[in-house]
Amino acid sequence: MDQSPEPNETPPLHSTYECDPDLRDLVVHFVDEMDQRVEMIRSAFLSDDAVALQRISHQLKGAAGGYGFDSIGDSAARLEYDLLTDEAMISDLSERVEDLINNCRAAVRPADS
Amino acid sequence: MSHDEPKRPRVLAIDDSDLVHRLLRARLRHERIDLHSALTADEGITAAKNLQPEVILLDIDLEDLDGFEVLARLKADPITRDIAVIFVSASNETMDRVRGLDLGAVDFVGKPFDVGELKARVRSALRMQRLVKMLAQRAQLDGLTGLWNRAYLDDRLEAETDSAIRYGNPLSLVLCDLDRFKNLNDSYGHPFGDEVLERAAAILGSGRSADVACRYGGEEFAIIAPGTDLNETMEVADRHRFRITEIEWPDRPGVKVSASFGVADLTCISGTPTPEKLIAAADQALYQAKKAGRNQVVAADVQIWPRAATG
Repeated sequence: MDQSPEPNETPPLHSTYECDPDLRDLVVHFVDEMDQRVEMIRSAFLSDDAVALQRISHQLKGAAGGYGFDSIGDSAARLEYDLLTDEAMISDLSERVEDLINNCRAAVRPADS
Repeated sequence: MSHDEPKRPRVLAIDDSDLVHRLLRARLRHERIDLHSALTADEGITAAKNLQPEVILLDIDLEDLDGFEVLARLKADPITRDIAVIFVSASNETMDRVRGLDLGAVDFVGKPFDVGELKARVRSALRMQRLVKMLAQRAQLDGLTGLWNRAYLDDRLEAETDSAIRYGNPLSLVLCDLDRFKNLNDSYGHPFGDEVLERAAAILGSGRSADVACRYGGEEFAIIAPGTDLNETMEVADRHRFRITEIEWPDRPGVKVSASFGVADLTCISGTPTPEKLIAAADQALYQAKKAGRNQVVAADVQIWPRAATG
């Protein structure tokens, strides 16, 4: 809806490892931490903290794929790339940041087995 | 969980992301390794020194220090130089891979890693590491006798001298030379000479566990005796001397083999002790043993320095 304060059009993301017995608990933990992670991204962005933003996107780029969320990793990689290469102001990165946040929020906790 | 299985190889993961450590732990759970984690470059370098892992999984992009710098430091330190380092990085730049391999990494894994590939690369690095260790040890062993060789003796004596000085511990060195070895070779042939060397070496190498026995040259041997003073080392050397005279030679009945010994410890040296001075002192004593009729143990003159002349 238009009135929705935080539109999220990204379809739900399921970890490709949610049925992997070795990884299931880790994936649950990873998804449970997502709200906190989104908050860190948002506050880094709002306070123009490019260093923090780069650190979070770098870590997600390297790790999200390992937890079965390739699209989060890809989105983080695009943000990190822009942060590292563009001379653009941090405020111009809003689309990338929004994309990463949407992807993070779309991650679905594996159902209890 | 059985207690008789051999010690598992140690793998150290250096990565600034806890997310990655958790993942590695889960992914390598079923491998026969002990996985350790470090979250910073500093922590990782310290852990590498203390833990002496066989393999390090090193993240290229650390926050406090770049992975290339960590690798360069690991390779510059003799203690960590031979650890197999596998780079792990989200960077897909060929230049990064080339640079890492050129700095001495054995392999490279991209992030996010494929589980099967990661496991296979860790296993391959462990295999290679075992071979490297074996070769390194071979290069320090004497081919005929299986004792340490001269190159190892030089390194080890230097380390033991430094340590003895630092901690104020005694340190002795024994030099041993088989008596009239050339005559044995000439009279009974080289195969017998080799047998003499092997059996004498077996005796010299079967001493106390802390003693380091080396083949010093042709028919000359050395024993480093850490933590042992001159008198105690004299006794050790004399036991070896006696056992060598007792060897029986089934193919050459009646042959008697003996050896002469020179012993020195740090108190025999004036000024700052060095490995060279210790060797020279023991060599001088060995010379005296030969001159006095062979088949005996002689101590280097004990010099207490500085010392006031007493009346």
